Amino acid sequence: MALFAVSVVVLGAVVFLIAHGAVEEQLEARIRSEVSALQSEARLSGLHAVLEEIGERTGGPGQLEYGVENPAGALVAGRLSAPGRKAGWATVPLRMRGGEVEPIRTHIVPLADGYRLLVGDELERVEEVDGAILQAFGSILLITLLLGAIGGYLLSRDLAGRIEAIARTAGAIIEGDLGQRIGHRAQGDDLDRLSATLNLMLDRIATLMDSLRQVSNDVAHDLRTPLTRLRQRLELAQTVEGEAERLGLVRMAIEDSDGLLETFSALLRIAQIEGGARRAGFRPINLKGLVTTVVDAYAPSAEDNGQSLTLAEPGAISLDGDPELLTQMIANLLANALAHAGAGARIAVNLQARPDAVAITVIDDGPGIPAVDRERVFDRFFRLEQSRTSAGNGLGLSLVRAIARLHGGEVLLYDAAPGLKVEILLPAG
Amino acid sequence: MKLLLVEDDREGAAYVSRALREAGHAVDHAALGRDGLMLAAGETYDVIVLDRMLPQLDGLAILRTIRASGVLTPVLLLTALGGIDDRVEGLEAGGDDYLVKPFAMAELLARVSALARRPPTQVTQTVLRVADLEMNLLKRTVTRAGQRLELQPREFQLLEYLMRHADRVVTRTMLLENVWDFHFDPKTNIVETHISRLRGKVDRGQPNELIHTVRGAGYCIREPS
Repeated sequence: MALFAVSVVVLGAVVFLIAHGAVEEQLEARIRSEVSALQSEARLSGLHAVLEEIGERTGGPGQLEYGVENPAGALVAGRLSAPGRKAGWATVPLRMRGGEVEPIRTHIVPLADGYRLLVGDELERVEEVDGAILQAFGSILLITLLLGAIGGYLLSRDLAGRIEAIARTAGAIIEGDLGQRIGHRAQGDDLDRLSATLNLMLDRIATLMDSLRQVSNDVAHDLRTPLTRLRQRLELAQTVEGEAERLGLVRMAIEDSDGLLETFSALLRIAQIEGGARRAGFRPINLKGLVTTVVDAYAPSAEDNGQSLTLAEPGAISLDGDPELLTQMIANLLANALAHAGAGARIAVNLQARPDAVAITVIDDGPGIPAVDRERVFDRFFRLEQSRTSAGNGLGLSLVRAIARLHGGEVLLYDAAPGLKVEILLPAG
Repeated sequence: MKLLLVEDDREGAAYVSRALREAGHAVDHAALGRDGLMLAAGETYDVIVLDRMLPQLDGLAILRTIRASGVLTPVLLLTALGGIDDRVEGLEAGGDDYLVKPFAMAELLARVSALARRPPTQVTQTVLRVADLEMNLLKRTVTRAGQRLELQPREFQLLEYLMRHADRVVTRTMLLENVWDFHFDPKTNIVETHISRLRGKVDRGQPNELIHTVRGAGYCIREPS
């Protein structure tokens, strides 16, 4: 506001100086041209013609003021006189017909034989213009200050209100109500856009909080059972009589704690992968070699289960990724197939380069997954009824999905009628 | 063997020291990184067991310092950080092996003895021998009592790892890491089935078994006593 007023004042001063200079310039130019006209008249027609001319012009309204002094300094024509003043520009007082004395901007030039010519104009004309300019700027300044004050007040009252609304929302969120959002107009200014961005951020935080809450619930709920079992075993080991039996219970307790630790590290691993922190470790991978290694590793176990595990001979496929995680992803799928497809099942692994993606499929002819559960199997700790009794922590497919998504891919489940088809699509490198 | 244990957790260190001493090792313990660094640089050890997270001087910093000063003693890093990047970071800093807490004591003992350097003559060896089992690393052939054994490439690798660590226990995890490069639990008895196949080829029909299962720890290949 103050800045605005100062700039109006500065602008006024600049305009004033320029206008003042221009008007003065104009006034002097008029005098100068009149002087040179009279000078040439004196040269051509003699002094008397100049005197005559001045006599005619003096006293008319809007006319310049004139004067001719003889060598003694006495006025011989006109009214303007500046005895003793040197030739050049001067400001000379002149008593006007009304009796008042006016300052006259005067040009004094020598004529022949010691005569001097004086031509001038009332400085009042310049002052009139100056006054007009000053008055105009004074009014402008006043209006500016007034409007600025009113506008600023209204603006800051609006802004303060909106910021207050943001602060209120933030306060409510701090109090624990994550559902609060900042109100804003759809097509608004910077503040509206800021509010919209803040709301998006809050949505993201709410999603993360939800998933965190979900994980904590899962952990609390799903770890209670194995912890209870562990405690019971240790309690029993404390009271049991036989040494051999005691050692057996202790061994089982150690196995229980290993299972719990395994569950924790799987959870940590999923969290780490979902956080996307490992993307930095991506490098080109020979996917065919990687899949072959994993299939070979599981082949003897499948054989022992009476299952057939085959890998359709794929062409060379490479993509950018994390070899360790991709190995684990495929290992998890095979471990799942071996564990759940049942004895005698046929398990076929396929690796295909499609135009826009690399597809890894694992198809078995086991019992499959009911359609209603196909999305839920990706949830942490979710286990199908039929597999509740077998080993496993219900985190395998969560991890598979996390790894696929880290690589920009997706995991899809299909009914292989009979059996299950798991398809992993990874964007082609 | 003479071991250095650098570990700040008093209770954990006491437990580990006791187990290492019971296994016949001499153990020096340093609770602070600074002391560990001084001992590692001043004394000669067979293996250094180094906790990765120490107060004041971080385990990795110690490792880099002792490696920079030319100490080549094998180092086993212990850590509560199980992330893959953490392991890579530890090995890049000059660690020889990496064990995530909590671990079974058998695992630690097996890894410590696997790390102890064997006499240098064995490094250039092209033939590995355990009793009448012979592996030619150049021709990639294996014979038992002069009879040629036909092994799959993975079985060959598995047997090679066992024979390089003959008379010492190797754990299931060590095999998964070194033979398959699997740094996770494969949830399936991969190791057991491969060992059982390997036994079928190496020990079946022979008067003495060479591949032994060490209960609660792992496997060991050794001459019959």
